[in-house]
Amino acid sequence: MKAVCWMGTSDVQTLTVDDPRILNPHDAILKITRTAICGSDLHLYDGFIPTMESGDILGHEFMGVVEEVGKEVTNLQRGDRVVVPFTIACGNCLFCKKKIWSACDNTNPNAHLMEAAYGYSGSGLFGYSHMMGGYAGGQAQYVRVPFANVGPLKIESDLPDEKVLFLSDIFPTGYMAAENSRIQEGDTVAVWGCGPVGIFAIASAFMLGAARVIAIDRLPERLEMARSFGAITVDYSEEDVDVLTAIKDLTGGMGPDSCIDAVGLEAHSTELQGFYDKVKTAVMLETDRPSVLRQAIQAVRKGGTLSIPGVYGGLLDKVPFGAAFGKGITMKMGQTNMHNYMKPLLERVEKGQIDPSSIISHRITLDQVPEMYKVWRDKSDHVTKIVIDPWAERAA
Amino acid sequence: MERALTEKPHAETVPQSGAAGTILNGHYLPPPVDKDGKQWVRTSALIVKSTSELYELWRDVEKAPLWQEQIAEVLVTGPKTSHWVMLTGDDPDKSIEWDSEVLNDEPGKRVAWRSIGGDSDNAGEVIFEAAPGGRGTIVTVLQEFRMSKLASTWETLTGRNPKQAVIENLRHFKALAETGEIPRIQGQPHGPRGTSGNAKKSIYGEKVATPAGEHQLAS
Repeated sequence: MKAVCWMGTSDVQTLTVDDPRILNPHDAILKITRTAICGSDLHLYDGFIPTMESGDILGHEFMGVVEEVGKEVTNLQRGDRVVVPFTIACGNCLFCKKKIWSACDNTNPNAHLMEAAYGYSGSGLFGYSHMMGGYAGGQAQYVRVPFANVGPLKIESDLPDEKVLFLSDIFPTGYMAAENSRIQEGDTVAVWGCGPVGIFAIASAFMLGAARVIAIDRLPERLEMARSFGAITVDYSEEDVDVLTAIKDLTGGMGPDSCIDAVGLEAHSTELQGFYDKVKTAVMLETDRPSVLRQAIQAVRKGGTLSIPGVYGGLLDKVPFGAAFGKGITMKMGQTNMHNYMKPLLERVEKGQIDPSSIISHRITLDQVPEMYKVWRDKSDHVTKIVIDPWAERAA
Repeated sequence: MERALTEKPHAETVPQSGAAGTILNGHYLPPPVDKDGKQWVRTSALIVKSTSELYELWRDVEKAPLWQEQIAEVLVTGPKTSHWVMLTGDDPDKSIEWDSEVLNDEPGKRVAWRSIGGDSDNAGEVIFEAAPGGRGTIVTVLQEFRMSKLASTWETLTGRNPKQAVIENLRHFKALAETGEIPRIQGQPHGPRGTSGNAKKSIYGEKVATPAGEHQLAS
């Protein structure tokens, strides 16, 4: 089959590799019908996430048709159409039983690597480094899905793939970000980053009762998209715009009740601290660039909540913890507990309450993926979301 | 001290002595340190199964190859003895063998064993205790090896350090008991690994074969 392989930092290639096969009794093999490139794939592309091996198949947002099931998979059969959550969960351990699926104890074959780095290991993820399990990802024509009895969501309506594909990660991730920000009716919520997760966080904040959402980014097409979902936008790259002042101006000096950092470890900053973090990460004294995190801690109101769906991987420098303590804020974060959200969010799509496909800007083939990683990283060509048809020979 | 607080509606009685020397008189004790050629490892896991189910799975030593790394075969040779065959690395023709004897067998609670001749000098115990709050079973393994530092370092480079193997085996045991399989990535497709990819596989311990798993769960 064809698959997108990580061959090193800034080196992604579409190669012919072996087809996947059933390795465990709860496995399924999917023929992938649609897959996507995630913002978090850029952290791999840019070499920020350790324990990638050359040859790793990328991709954790995908859906498809069941081709084959292992002998213990009783809920799926050949021909079923499913969306697969990017976190792999066993369904039986203490964490799965508590519905903290992304903390599953039994799905990371390399748990010792993550234990060494984080104290304990979370669940395995598709196509996201060996520390996170080393599972082959879904930017490919076929994929092996472990614990297929627990994760995949059957799509029984005739909704097109593009409307349900994002249930594999970014829609639930944006939704959990809004839920984690503990919105009460009438609240004002500020969202940093109007990429796909930020957009779904904006949409979900409104669904959960926000009265006003402030969205911060610098790319015109993203700010436009945020406005189309109902947010007030702030372009931090505009001359004379200071984000903290803007947020105070838009909240009567109070600050937002909740802040959502939908940017994560590769934040860009126009300020001096942006240069400081670039230098420190370049010489390995810091692994992440947390300029948005710093600003969000500063911006949130007293007693407010900071929700962090943006990915952080390692060590952060100069985080204003005194401000966090001084204002008595609550911080909630982590990989998405996908399995809690897929079904209820599918129902919202089926009822026509939201059209997730509205964020798609590019539809491509597998062979175009390497060049599109570069476009995605550089945010060129007005890119907002890239979807791949792994069987198409030429671009739509 | 016990009377300093009387309002503890869900508190459980503090054990006077806990698994594998973890607690003594209500106080935590650290694991034994390596000395005089003896190496120790103590590890534990919370498993959502009953003490008796886990004891039964552990005590069924002929099934050990399903969840213990590098173990090719185990044969029960008597009521308390068994014969173990272990692969030592990439070469399938090379193996080590030893006999093992159960020293203490308390069904549902504890098994202690030692090797009685052959290529491995080890002893150990496993303890099954109900976890606080009825949340399953805490399984604690304490194992001792007699092995030189050099040999242990060599093991680390060529496969799995025996201490890490004990930790990984308990992890496999938990996965098998809770899910009926052991998570694996060996055998999945990938692009060319190259020199660095292959070196990383060794460093990450990915070249050690994941045990077969596949255990029919009691429903």
